[in-house]
Amino acid sequence: MNAITQEDMRSEFSFKPEAKRIPGSMAIWAAILAEMSEFAIMFIVYFLGKVHNPELFYEGPTRLNTLAGTSNTLIMLTSSFFVVRAVMAMRNNKPITSARWLWGAVICGVLYLIIKYFEYQWNAAQGLETETNIFYGVYYYVTFNHFLHVGWGSAAIVWVIFRINTGIYTKDEHEGLINMALYWHMIDLAWITIFPLMYVIR
Amino acid sequence: MTHEKRINYLWLFLIALTLFSAFMAERDTPGFSSIAIMSLVLAIKGRIIVDHFMELKHSHKILCTLMQVYFYVIPALIILVYLFPEQIAKWTTL
Repeated sequence: MNAITQEDMRSEFSFKPEAKRIPGSMAIWAAILAEMSEFAIMFIVYFLGKVHNPELFYEGPTRLNTLAGTSNTLIMLTSSFFVVRAVMAMRNNKPITSARWLWGAVICGVLYLIIKYFEYQWNAAQGLETETNIFYGVYYYVTFNHFLHVGWGSAAIVWVIFRINTGIYTKDEHEGLINMALYWHMIDLAWITIFPLMYVIR
Repeated sequence: MTHEKRINYLWLFLIALTLFSAFMAERDTPGFSSIAIMSLVLAIKGRIIVDHFMELKHSHKILCTLMQVYFYVIPALIILVYLFPEQIAKWTTL
């Protein structure tokens, strides 16, 4: 007979609880991993384009607006910081403070979109279009994809603020806020990878 | 150090790393050292966000490893593409 003693059970299930804990829901992690994979494919396309067209990928970043890229990186990092502070405020049972931090993140998201819009206008004035060469084709495809993510991510933050204001989230139950925070950090992670690839590295 | 203070300092550190990257971008002649530094900066920034902002450092091991590996692989690819562009181009030519 396969008698399992209490000792066996203890040794078999000896993981620390935090080692198995998943922040947020499984659904948001499925979305995050899918999105990270999507961006990974774009980065592989970038690397392939770079090895096959070294001159274009050397010259490309020098004609882009580094100030716009740097500003948007600072804005994305700051928005992520605001989102972390919003989660901390909610855990400290301060929903109004949490909502204020989130409004800060929304303002950052909108600022990012405005800067990106003017960057595209500036590029167009310099004659940098999707058809200019493969570097700018990849640049527009990746950055516009990210632009869309920031757009709907900002809308998701506004939705979470609405939920906080209606009292749905509490100190102990605010998984929706955590899910949104994780998704926003993923958008930030994508941008901190795009920034050196498109604006810095030659 | 409180959690709040640590997060504040990490944010300031991320801002400093970004300004450093921008400074590197404006330099005239990029070489291997600047490519290696940029890759390291990307790996550090990714690790800070994954570990501390997403709070994965002490969470689910597989998720944590998957997210951390992403920010080892991309910087490694940046360096490989810089060092061996012709070889990689040869391997990926149809």
